[in-house]
Amino acid sequence: MKSKKIWITLVILIMMLLVPLGKVNAASDGYLQKIKDKGTLVVGTSADYPPYEFTVKQSGKTTYVGLDIEIAKKFAKDLGVKLEIKNMNFDSLLVALETHKVDAVISGMNPTPERQKSVDFSNVYYRGKQYMLINKKDAALYKNIHSFKNKTIGAQAGSLQYDLVKKQMKNNQVKGLAKLNDLVIALESGKVNAVAMEEATAKAFAQNNTSLKVINPEFNVDSSQTGSAMAFPKGATSLVQAANKTIAQIKKKNLINKQYIPLAGKYMTNNSKKNSMWNYWTYFAKGIEYTLIITVVSVFFGFILGVLLALLRLSKSKLGKAIATAYIEFVRGTPLMVQVMFVYFGIGAVIQSLPALLAGIIAVSLNSAAYVAEVIRSGIESIPAGQTEAARSLGMSQTLTYRYVIIPQALKNIWPALGNEFITLIKESSIVSIIGVGDLMYQMQLVQSATYKGVIPIFITMVIYFVMTFGLSKVLGYFEGRMKHA
Amino acid sequence: MPNMIEIKNLEKSFGDNQVLKNITEVVKKGQVICVIGPSGSGKSTFLRCLNVLEKPSAGQIIFEGQELTNISEVELNKLRERMGMVFQSFNLFPNMDVINNVKLAPLKVKKDVEEEASQKAGQLLEQVGLADKAEQFPLSLSGGQQQRVAIARALAMDPEVMLFDEPTSALDPEMVGEVLKVMKDLAESGMTMIVVTHEMGFAKEVADQIWFMDEGYIQEKGAPDEFFANPKTSRAKEFLSKIL
Repeated sequence: MKSKKIWITLVILIMMLLVPLGKVNAASDGYLQKIKDKGTLVVGTSADYPPYEFTVKQSGKTTYVGLDIEIAKKFAKDLGVKLEIKNMNFDSLLVALETHKVDAVISGMNPTPERQKSVDFSNVYYRGKQYMLINKKDAALYKNIHSFKNKTIGAQAGSLQYDLVKKQMKNNQVKGLAKLNDLVIALESGKVNAVAMEEATAKAFAQNNTSLKVINPEFNVDSSQTGSAMAFPKGATSLVQAANKTIAQIKKKNLINKQYIPLAGKYMTNNSKKNSMWNYWTYFAKGIEYTLIITVVSVFFGFILGVLLALLRLSKSKLGKAIATAYIEFVRGTPLMVQVMFVYFGIGAVIQSLPALLAGIIAVSLNSAAYVAEVIRSGIESIPAGQTEAARSLGMSQTLTYRYVIIPQALKNIWPALGNEFITLIKESSIVSIIGVGDLMYQMQLVQSATYKGVIPIFITMVIYFVMTFGLSKVLGYFEGRMKHA
Repeated sequence: MPNMIEIKNLEKSFGDNQVLKNITEVVKKGQVICVIGPSGSGKSTFLRCLNVLEKPSAGQIIFEGQELTNISEVELNKLRERMGMVFQSFNLFPNMDVINNVKLAPLKVKKDVEEEASQKAGQLLEQVGLADKAEQFPLSLSGGQQQRVAIARALAMDPEVMLFDEPTSALDPEMVGEVLKVMKDLAESGMTMIVVTHEMGFAKEVADQIWFMDEGYIQEKGAPDEFFANPKTSRAKEFLSKIL
């Protein structure tokens, strides 16, 4: 009974700690003032959704364009602040909003009741119909949602279209992917029979790819659930009101249809005109740079931390041993992707200025350290006890013994395993792209969106990764050869 | 002769298994002691307790007046410099060549200067007859050569006593002689030595005293001539009848 009481008290205490935090934010609502104070509006978007948001290359630099971006620009201008765009996966947008990584989300997002539970929406600024993209050769087969039976329909995971397919096309499979580009590749290669997407986007894809066609499958759509709106943190009423003011002006002047969509269309035709891969080499170069930075820095810190963890695990201290073992087991037992998201969104919620690149490097280093620690431990344990005894009998201290006798031999034994870990790191670092770090994987996705080409960027990326890992493998082999003697 | 090592009521257990049971002995300066006995009698453990590679469970080891069982690691390192040890399996460092094996401890522990350490290492290798192998790596040497390097390595710290733990047991028969020769020369130069061995010929010829160990005790000790001709205990008689 007593322990139950303690538990209840504990739970109440925790709730008392948590509840006021939420309340204070909502009640005082300093959101608008805060943005004005820092002079920047940070807007999150998933820039693979033309004509809403996508990227173009302007004088060598990646620029975000599209009708949503134009609205965001006007909103920032109305607030009298600068605009900063953060590009990430559509799935991650609302989390980013809730953890205050971004001030607002504008990404062709439908204000569904489910979403309204966790965030606040502005008024709808644009309402397009729900369309489908199919292969032109199937045009005779598919007319509307009823012409599909036992087919596979693609839709962006977490989107309104995904729900529509699931609920209204019950005798079909639905395949959800994070990126529209991947869905279109799946369509072209026959993995899915159709892709449900928003009218303007579907038309954009069809315009840029002659083998595709749009149809209006006549989904039964509740008008309160369609349309795109800006999302804000729950309780950010001041921001919602300011956004609504901007939206009202845009509607009054009909800016979306008159200016924003035509402008987006112009960017899209420009993009598709010069969509040879060669025009995008700077994207890949940037990606290689980021991937190498992340890998090198993570290898460095991962190795240092790994050595410390290994020594701690081999130490006589029971506490040290327990801590190191627990850390290693936990890190090895959870996916790197979850760790990256936890560092960025979880720790990032405490330290709000934590940049994605740094979060990525921290997560990858911490992850690598666990694996390196085990490799080093196995190396140290592979050295016969006689080596330590010989060194100690000569009067060498524990430290001297490790430094001159154990570690050099261990390093030679574990070099191939360590090399393997570093090569793995180059590849695994691609996971940081989900939090919007501009590594090679992320750049590949940008090129896909910008060029409407799915497979070629993947192939190029694959070759680049291979060149990097093969090069590293050769360098490691050279040093391994030099360590061999007698 | 002054006492070099005093062993008082030494006991050692591994878990429930008591390996050494109350040993009290004295090693005098310049003495060569051969410890013999059947395997499992505790000879190696006894030797390893003398430089505290194994921490005794009870009793005292007093090396030149200094008690070893309750001192700090740093003090212990200092004292180990003065007690050389040679192992059954050589335990040379395979990651460095012969001369660096010999030089490592003088350079890193004694902080000798490079030139001095090299010169001395060269002399020691000369002494064990391996001057021409200085640049080779241990694994390219024969067992006998490796063991002689190990002796040179231990001598490089200028020890006052040398502990040998079955130094010829891992060697092919034709290599035993070269190692025993080096040890004999060392004994003749006046080095205090404690040798755990199965080489009865060597014990007879070189030892000042034989300590016969069985079941965790030193059962019998005496001058070699007397011990081998006329063992007093039934255990020693039984042991000698088996091996001679």
